[in-house]
Amino acid sequence: MSKLTRAFQPNRVIDSGTTGLIVLFWAGTALLLWSLSPWKTLPTPHEIWKAVGFLWWERGMGPEMFTTLKLIAHAVALTAVLSLGLSYLTVIPFFRPLVAMTSKLRFLGLTGLVFPFTLMTGGGYTLKVALLTFGMTSFFVTSMAQVVIEIPRAEFDHMRVLGSSEARIFWEVVVRGTLDKALDVLRQNLAMGWAMITMVEGISRAEGGVGAMILDQNKHFNLAEVYAILLVILVLGLAMDYGMGVLTNLLCPHAALGRVQR
Amino acid sequence: MNATAGEVLLDVKGIKLSLGGGKILDGVSFQVIDWIREGVTTGQVVSLLGPSGVGKTRLLRIMAGLDAPDAGTVHGRDSKVLEAGSVGVVFQDYPLLRHRTVESNLELAGTIGGLDGAEARKRTRELLDTFGLTERAGFYPAQLSGGQKQRVAIAQQLVVPRQLLLMDEPFSGLDPAALEDVMKLLVDVANLHELNTILVVTHDIRAAMAVSDTVYMLGRDRKEDGKLVPGARVQATYDLVALDLAWKPDVQTLPTFVTLEREIKAKFRTL
Repeated sequence: MSKLTRAFQPNRVIDSGTTGLIVLFWAGTALLLWSLSPWKTLPTPHEIWKAVGFLWWERGMGPEMFTTLKLIAHAVALTAVLSLGLSYLTVIPFFRPLVAMTSKLRFLGLTGLVFPFTLMTGGGYTLKVALLTFGMTSFFVTSMAQVVIEIPRAEFDHMRVLGSSEARIFWEVVVRGTLDKALDVLRQNLAMGWAMITMVEGISRAEGGVGAMILDQNKHFNLAEVYAILLVILVLGLAMDYGMGVLTNLLCPHAALGRVQR
Repeated sequence: MNATAGEVLLDVKGIKLSLGGGKILDGVSFQVIDWIREGVTTGQVVSLLGPSGVGKTRLLRIMAGLDAPDAGTVHGRDSKVLEAGSVGVVFQDYPLLRHRTVESNLELAGTIGGLDGAEARKRTRELLDTFGLTERAGFYPAQLSGGQKQRVAIAQQLVVPRQLLLMDEPFSGLDPAALEDVMKLLVDVANLHELNTILVVTHDIRAAMAVSDTVYMLGRDRKEDGKLVPGARVQATYDLVALDLAWKPDVQTLPTFVTLEREIKAKFRTL
């Protein structure tokens, strides 16, 4: 069976070369459809590329991107510390209701929280960090607490019969044993935070950022510029996602071994 | 071969356990004795045989100090109460730390057991060599076959010397060739040190008989109407030393072995 034929068969494993060809095919098709699109509201790839150059050189997109990246990095760091701390606390029965309550807060949604958060933080950069952190933490805790709860009892017992202390068991089984999963959850929440970033940056535009930038371009109906910013947001998001994948493989080389290809 | 009974290595007395209102174990008592053979400095293998679902693994967990019984006691050598960590346990699915390599899993067992880093590394290298795992030292558990995992799990329990090693269903799901290998492995492990004693919890009659000095049969009583009475206890003890069926490489071909196997199977069906 040829490599390309396998690409059309269900449940087949294909090599990286064939995967690359398939990706190229779909990317080319998308670009072609985009170029030939009859919709006037969708700028051509060339127009968007020109808009990227304009925004970069004339509108200071570089510093705006830096502002946004700084915001997301700050919020992700806080989210990771808070969420991992809370999730690991599920091993202690006393804290389980607190963790469950934090998880339930994900149903609140961000829009209605802007007002109380503004009163609490005083607005500006702190408000944005707080909103992003809140949004990501409630989801992170939900996923990560489940990871901790689902650790098989056999893993704890295995360490106990080796004569390990409970503190060492916590470190080996709960913290190190789930690090790859924690990084996976962080990766998903980073994507979630990144998707929220334009909305959050729009709440307080004084500090700038690509979110404020896109709203500004929206206001003037500069379609090519709006799409250019969207494209930049997408590319940055994909780059961060890729970076998280590389970090996971570096820190947890065993993680990829458990994944089954089919 | 002449053998005399030495000290008591494991003394299980009157273990009772109920779960969810149902009796699981009802007064399990047996002893593991250190048999001393003239001119031989090897360890021994004892089997706890019983049908599936009779409570063997529950009993193993109690003996390992992982669970507390409702009643009864478990003492080791010198009448010490056994606690988690005082005896080695190889669980059925061979749990290993998946984020650590084979070598690192073994070294960790050493440092947890009180060895310093250099000692733990030295002992690890010795055991990797003994168990034919040197080439797999840098592998993660996910890269090992079932048989290799089992060997790593056993080796891990031996990094720090323990006189008693409990093994849960080591013969389960093995093909005949692999079964022979595991049986040989158990005898080899027992023979690594004269004080090593392995207690195998299994439902495999033939394998248990082939490797053991003593076989204890765990099971439930039956009422007159044939229904099983909840709560297992030791129903029979087979002293293979006294029957001259212990420590013989080709024991499975002996007529006395075949006869006893038939007898045990018949009893097994009633439990």
